[in-house]
Amino acid sequence: MPNDYLLSLPILAAAGWSVLLIILEAMLSRAALTRVFAMLGFALVGGLSVIGFPLQGLAFSEMLRIGGFQHFANIIFCLSGLLVVALSEKYLDDENVHYGEYYIVAFISVVGMMLLAAAANMAILFIGLEMMSIALYVLAGLMRRDVRSNEAAMKYFLLGAFASGLLLYGISLIYGATGELALHKIAIAIQTGSASMLFWIGFGLLITGFLFKISAVPFHQWTPDVYDGSPTPAAAFMSTGAKAAAFSALIVVVTNFSTLLQNSPTWSLVISSIALATMVVGNIAALAQENLKRMLAYSSVAHAGYMLVGIAAATPDGYSGIMFYTLVYTLMNIGAFGVVALLESKENLLLASDYAGLFKHRPMLAGAMAVFMLSLAGVPPLGGFIGKYKVFAAAVDAKLTWLALAGVLASAVSAYYYLRVVYFMFMRDPVGEAISAPATSSLAFALIAVAVVLLGVFPTEILRITDAALKFAQLPTQTGF
Amino acid sequence: MDVSGILFVFLGAQIIVATVGTVWSRNPVTSALFLVLNFFALGGLYLLLEAQFIAVVQVIVYAGAIMVLFLFTIMLLNLDNERALAEKFDLRKGFAVLLGGVLLVELLYIIGLKTPIPIKQTALTTVQLGEAKYIGRELLTNFLFPFEIVSILLLLAVVGAIVLAKKNFTTSPKS
Amino acid sequence: MHESIFLAVLFPLVGFLLNALFSSMKFIKSGESGKEFFVGAFSTLMIVLPFVIAVGVFFELQSLPASEQKFVVNVYEWFKAGAMTVGVSYQLDSLSVLMMLVVTGVGSLIHLYSIGYMHGDEGFARFFSYLNLFIFAMLNLVLADNMALMFLGWEGVGLCSYFLIGFWYDRKFEGVGIETTTDAANKAFMLNRVGDFAMLGAMFLIFQKIGSLTFESILSQLSAFDQTHLFWMALLVFIGCTGKSAQIPLFTWLPDAMAGPTPVSALIHAATMVTSGIYLIARLSPLFMLAPDVMNLVAIIGAATAIIAASIAVVQNDIKKILAYSTVSQLGYMFLALGVGATTAAMFHLVTHAFFKACLFLGSGSVIHALHEEQDVRQMGGLQKVMPSTGTTFLIGAIALSGFPLTAGFFSKDELLAKTFASGNVALYAVGIVTAALTAFYSMRAYALTFLGDARWAHDKHPHESGATMTIPLWILAALSLIGGVIGLPAVIQEHNWIHGWLSRSQIVEKEMTMAHSTEWILLALSSAVAIGGLGFAYSIYTKKQTAAASQNGFYNLLLNKYYIDELYNALFVKPMRFVSEKILPTLDAALINGVLNGVGTSFISIARSLKIWQSGVAQNYALAIIAGLVAILSYLMLKQP
Repeated sequence: MPNDYLLSLPILAAAGWSVLLIILEAMLSRAALTRVFAMLGFALVGGLSVIGFPLQGLAFSEMLRIGGFQHFANIIFCLSGLLVVALSEKYLDDENVHYGEYYIVAFISVVGMMLLAAAANMAILFIGLEMMSIALYVLAGLMRRDVRSNEAAMKYFLLGAFASGLLLYGISLIYGATGELALHKIAIAIQTGSASMLFWIGFGLLITGFLFKISAVPFHQWTPDVYDGSPTPAAAFMSTGAKAAAFSALIVVVTNFSTLLQNSPTWSLVISSIALATMVVGNIAALAQENLKRMLAYSSVAHAGYMLVGIAAATPDGYSGIMFYTLVYTLMNIGAFGVVALLESKENLLLASDYAGLFKHRPMLAGAMAVFMLSLAGVPPLGGFIGKYKVFAAAVDAKLTWLALAGVLASAVSAYYYLRVVYFMFMRDPVGEAISAPATSSLAFALIAVAVVLLGVFPTEILRITDAALKFAQLPTQTGF
Repeated sequence: MDVSGILFVFLGAQIIVATVGTVWSRNPVTSALFLVLNFFALGGLYLLLEAQFIAVVQVIVYAGAIMVLFLFTIMLLNLDNERALAEKFDLRKGFAVLLGGVLLVELLYIIGLKTPIPIKQTALTTVQLGEAKYIGRELLTNFLFPFEIVSILLLLAVVGAIVLAKKNFTTSPKS
Repeated sequence: MHESIFLAVLFPLVGFLLNALFSSMKFIKSGESGKEFFVGAFSTLMIVLPFVIAVGVFFELQSLPASEQKFVVNVYEWFKAGAMTVGVSYQLDSLSVLMMLVVTGVGSLIHLYSIGYMHGDEGFARFFSYLNLFIFAMLNLVLADNMALMFLGWEGVGLCSYFLIGFWYDRKFEGVGIETTTDAANKAFMLNRVGDFAMLGAMFLIFQKIGSLTFESILSQLSAFDQTHLFWMALLVFIGCTGKSAQIPLFTWLPDAMAGPTPVSALIHAATMVTSGIYLIARLSPLFMLAPDVMNLVAIIGAATAIIAASIAVVQNDIKKILAYSTVSQLGYMFLALGVGATTAAMFHLVTHAFFKACLFLGSGSVIHALHEEQDVRQMGGLQKVMPSTGTTFLIGAIALSGFPLTAGFFSKDELLAKTFASGNVALYAVGIVTAALTAFYSMRAYALTFLGDARWAHDKHPHESGATMTIPLWILAALSLIGGVIGLPAVIQEHNWIHGWLSRSQIVEKEMTMAHSTEWILLALSSAVAIGGLGFAYSIYTKKQTAAASQNGFYNLLLNKYYIDELYNALFVKPMRFVSEKILPTLDAALINGVLNGVGTSFISIARSLKIWQSGVAQNYALAIIAGLVAILSYLMLKQP
């Protein structure tokens, strides 16, 4: 039992900290203070995950599985939360919705994400998913007097509840087929018997629930509408932390059933087709977007497609590639959304052409944004390139060369809309007034950009960690330290 | 067919009728009442499965507390019949019906396969499994963690609801 | 020395970063000479230091016994994915060191020159940051020991080229379908993309077959490939090279790339980046030797590009465009040499071309500067007296380009033409000789119209000789253009000349071709005659015409005679060429740019627009799509899963 607490310390600390935040906000009601404490909390939980990195095992009656993978995922979630919270204040102030509850809700959402990644039991999977999602519905609707924000929250809630229903139905069918809720026991059950049709249908429903969260085609249509209507920092959060969490859960599920899935051409084809459709639709739709927020929304769909290529490969290499990818993606996408949020709130600048000549006024900000755009496009030697490369190489190794080629072509198309932003920033003269923003934020973005560059130039160490982190997730029955 | 079989058919039919009624009726109050009926029937099904505790909770919490709250809300808001939303039968609905039909056939087919359901071997009888005592023990031992962590979920729901719905919700003073 | 090679790559990167910082801090307020000099000298130093290292490595390599012919320096393992490890590791053999010497040597001179040229420009530091970044990428390209890193450099130089062509993004620039410099940059970028895809395809093929991308393992495992594979690999690599090195059909971007500042044209679009295709084919020459069909194609494309571009250069009036087409034509020569298997000759011409073309471009920049951005040769003339250094060095560059006997261009051009002849392709040789005549003609035309005759520039302009930072590089390059040929004297003079001996230490291979000395003498004489003839012909037309026009007491007959020649020349060259350059090329251009590239783009965008119909904004429709996807997945699972 003490081991259980030690193992799941990051999750318990996060849950406890969220209660602390609620008390703090209720007593003092000072959003700025709650914000600082939320950031402290993220740092604390992330730090605990770093310190506890080598610990691994099952905890609380095999409800949680903790290992390198979970710790790595926790760090991504905390990073995402920390950056989003750090970048939110000015936007929320400008929109006049600077509530302390915003930070509480975001924090609890991260607790949900951590549960998703650590789930060893489908009950935890569901609780984690709901905790994360309900928090996101609230964040989407935060701007209560903004009709678009209301619409975004409503749409997200209706469709999200719908997807949760499908997922829950899937869980119940799997339980019916195997009599188990614990993932590793299900794995044993389908290995000893054979996977029945009932199991497969349940599995299909379960996966559909996750595909909705990562906005894979054709379950993606909510994405642009919701991102567009939500407060921009919240959209950044949804596209990074939430997506990383859904992918972590997906990886947890598929690694448990790896023996079944690796030998299933059917599964491979289903996921490959979805990955292909997601890459194609996401990129092509992004081409036509003038509004940067919508462009980034479709871009986030496309990136889900690239990451799905790793799931389709169904190898540890592919999953490790996804983990690296989510880390880089979190940094670069929050960077991109953050720049949009920073400039948007002043002048409601949302078109790519509004960024004309940004380089002249704000060279550092423009430079950082250029790094984010180029990295999203997968230009070497930036982090985004390594992520894509790792995932595509895994697909080639898994004899899915066509999928990797399609991915390369799709990202070539994507270069067009990312470079358009760079083009406006660097190669056009500014129109109208200079865009003003605090200099400190430029520095923050520059730091994120440096991190993206470093991940691209020196990825070896992180890749080694992601490779090693998957080892434990691969062994379904191992327990203890 | 024995008594429980007859009861099952009866309750099952009631659930289907109540669900269709919930979706079909134009008056929100009628819809809600159909839903209450649905919950009652579901409680009955639980009883048939000898899950007494869940059956009682189903009736008290859903049919009792939640639906009463719903009804109050509907009446307070004084909702009209949803005529405004009534639409003609169009292509989209046809497509929806088609897809729903396919899904239904697929699921019926799966059920028709009669996959053997694995039964866990325990020392307890089915009746004992449905008792509050047994459920309570499970919740505080094997399911302790989910049981506890759900409290955070509920807390979140409360905070979220307040953020979205509280009247005169103001931002805190800027620092 | 070779251990410190990473420093050589690091210096330009540091230069880039610091210059980018200067640029973003607005360190230089417009026209502060002191700070400009500091930034410029610092950037130049960041290129001179790698040059020094290159020289050191050069001597180190030379002192090695024949058994050890290269160093491989692993800087660090970049990333590992699946079966493939990509390392930042540099390969120092005679080929890469030669390229490095050219890149850093010419690069240093052009950096130095730019200090004067860019004086007062508001983007001074930005310019130098791009220039340093370019050298960084170029060094990675030529030093990489694997194709992955090489490709990164390849993309990097493309990106720098894009930024530098569009450096003055607000300026007007005329071209086919082009209105501003930015359009020119976009055109270069898009045409290069086409080539890059082919290159990626080649890398995919290679990796699939041998599971590695290092040059070492590619060249040592050539027997693993069958004939079809070899053909496709060589073809794809070559298509990639036609993009970067501006060959038919992807050459039209290079003349438009002249929209960039002139030092950029000299460095990137004449001396270094555009020659990277030559370098790559030389590097992979063992592979190309096994694909004779592709070799023939390389030779034919090279010859065709050489003659077409040279004839276009004859009728251009923009001094930079004359030089741009000349560059395309000279690159065609190099491909011709590669195609007939004369790899060393191609590399030799690459080196001498870097000298004299850089000299010519910098000279033209000096003139353009003096005449306040005037580029039309019809608005020049008589500048030799005003700008003696520029004029003399330009003349030296021009005669070297023409292949005037004993200049650097003479030896290199003669060698590649002789090798073409020796390979038995007399038709290709004939094309080469005609091109040589055209080259001599347009070189002298450019010189004569710019520097001789009457001054045709506006009277309010007061051109004067450029400062020392600009003339010193000119003189150094001019000297190299004159004497650079000693590294590759023809076999009749020196049996084993230096460059053959040097390059034979690397893995490059070429066809064995022997030729009687008598034949070689004849070819030498022919080349000299053609060069002198072309120079003289142009001199007689473009100087005497003006004197005749100036003084009415000229010899009527001669005038008439000249008129007749002009007519002939018009009918033979100008009209067809004007037709080609005004009718066919634009169509080709338009077909390529609008038809293919834009067409693909627009069709994507129109598909994207049509996708908007599905994005109705109605949540019920989205739910319906979700169910449709779910039903598809479940149905497929049920059908396929036993």
